[in-house]
Amino acid sequence: MTAAGAAVTGSTVSEGARALWILTLVLGGAALSLVTLDAVPAWMHGVPRGVRRAASVEEAERRLQAKVLLPAYFPDTLRWPPSTVRFARDDGGSVALSFLGADGVPALFLAQTAGGEGTLPAALLGRLAVIQQQSAPLGAGSVLARVVAEDGTLWNQLEWNAAGRHFLLRGRGSLEDLIRMARSIHGGVR
Amino acid sequence: MTGPRWMDFAGQAIFHTLVAALVIEALVRLWGVREPQQRIGFRLLALAWPLLVVPALFLVFPVREGEAFRDARSLFAGRHWDDLAFLGVGLYGWWITGMAVMGLALFLMDLVPWLRARSAEPPPWLARTPEGVRAEEALSRAAASLCMAAPPLVFLLDGQPVLYCTGTRHPAVVISRAAVDLLDPSELKGALAHELAHLERRDPTLSWALMGARALMWFNPGVQVLVRALARDAERVADERAASAIDDRLALASGLLKLFRATERRFPARSAEPFPLSASLAEPIARARAHDIELRCRALLAAAPEPIPLARLRFAAAAAGLGLLLFFVV
Repeated sequence: MTAAGAAVTGSTVSEGARALWILTLVLGGAALSLVTLDAVPAWMHGVPRGVRRAASVEEAERRLQAKVLLPAYFPDTLRWPPSTVRFARDDGGSVALSFLGADGVPALFLAQTAGGEGTLPAALLGRLAVIQQQSAPLGAGSVLARVVAEDGTLWNQLEWNAAGRHFLLRGRGSLEDLIRMARSIHGGVR
Repeated sequence: MTGPRWMDFAGQAIFHTLVAALVIEALVRLWGVREPQQRIGFRLLALAWPLLVVPALFLVFPVREGEAFRDARSLFAGRHWDDLAFLGVGLYGWWITGMAVMGLALFLMDLVPWLRARSAEPPPWLARTPEGVRAEEALSRAAASLCMAAPPLVFLLDGQPVLYCTGTRHPAVVISRAAVDLLDPSELKGALAHELAHLERRDPTLSWALMGARALMWFNPGVQVLVRALARDAERVADERAASAIDDRLALASGLLKLFRATERRFPARSAEPFPLSASLAEPIARARAHDIELRCRALLAAAPEPIPLARLRFAAAAAGLGLLLFFVV
């Protein structure tokens, strides 16, 4: 190859590399913009990344293609339907329901995996500090904890595995009611 | 979060067009694509998206429409914006409605004056006036420069300067006596060469096809804007072809400017009639038209633009990259 030919080839290669670099930058910028735009609705609802809102329990069931197990015992002090229904698709999917009390403040939180006894995603559970923990009367491996929410409120929290799922039930009412609700979840603990 | 399938199709067609058009526009600028034929190629890629690629994605990859794909795999899902509602309707629904209204307005803004112009077209006169003979001689010389047979010339005894080409099966060049009077011989040859370049490229047929695409995608403002940009590029291609054929860029620019100045007062009035709001749009439209002419004249006063190297490779890479990106946009 002559020197002139080599120079032309080198120039073409560098031009091609520059063109590909620009293309990568433009497509990368577009992808980043799209991901950001996609995150805006969840961000406006205060929902963490990876977690989606559903309008109802039925919608969450349809989108996860799994049945959501609910307690048969539901005290009159709680409002039905759930105030928020959120779900995540990580690790086979999981769903979280929040219920308001009769006084209009959050009073109950129920989360469960949609399939498998894996862990529930932290994004779905929120940040709570455990101040006390002991075994619960809901079978082997079940845990009863006293937790503090970010706003300083105290909650009772039950975690257990049943029917091939992992459950978490958190309430501000009496512990007896909470255990009774946990036992009444269809397919849950008898 | 479920909705009619047509809504998903319309939403994706609109959104894909916007993303494809913006990406292509960024690439055209950053790669320095100035040669109009190459610009047309890249813009056609963006136009092909709603017309060909989106329907193909719906047919070949129905899994993209599933909620699992939407929630876990997509980069962007328009349906997620339905989580935010206004007056009981999700924002995605509002966005599609707004875009459809904008697309229809843009389509009608061009369609109505076009239909009116066709219905109000005066009967052609084939007159053996001195101006008609001058025009026929100039047309023959321009056709010889482009190495093509001269098409029939329709000579109008109109008071307004008129010069355009027409016809898909029977192409012709239409010119009025006022236009012949307005232009000197070299300008007339340049302007006629420009119209012949349109006929050589079969632009009248292409414009029908593009109007069909606009009608099909009436709800898509991205398509309406892209087709306008393509029309501007087609003018630039015809300018370059004519300029190289007659070897007189200045005469073509001068003729273009004279015809624009002679006709500029007519266009705002014609385009202002169809809609109540178009009176307020007349001024920006007139300004945009003046800007287009200015850009074309500037381009003609400069040297002919060089095509960028590795154009096919860039085109293929852009198409592949866009395909990969937009596959995950639902």
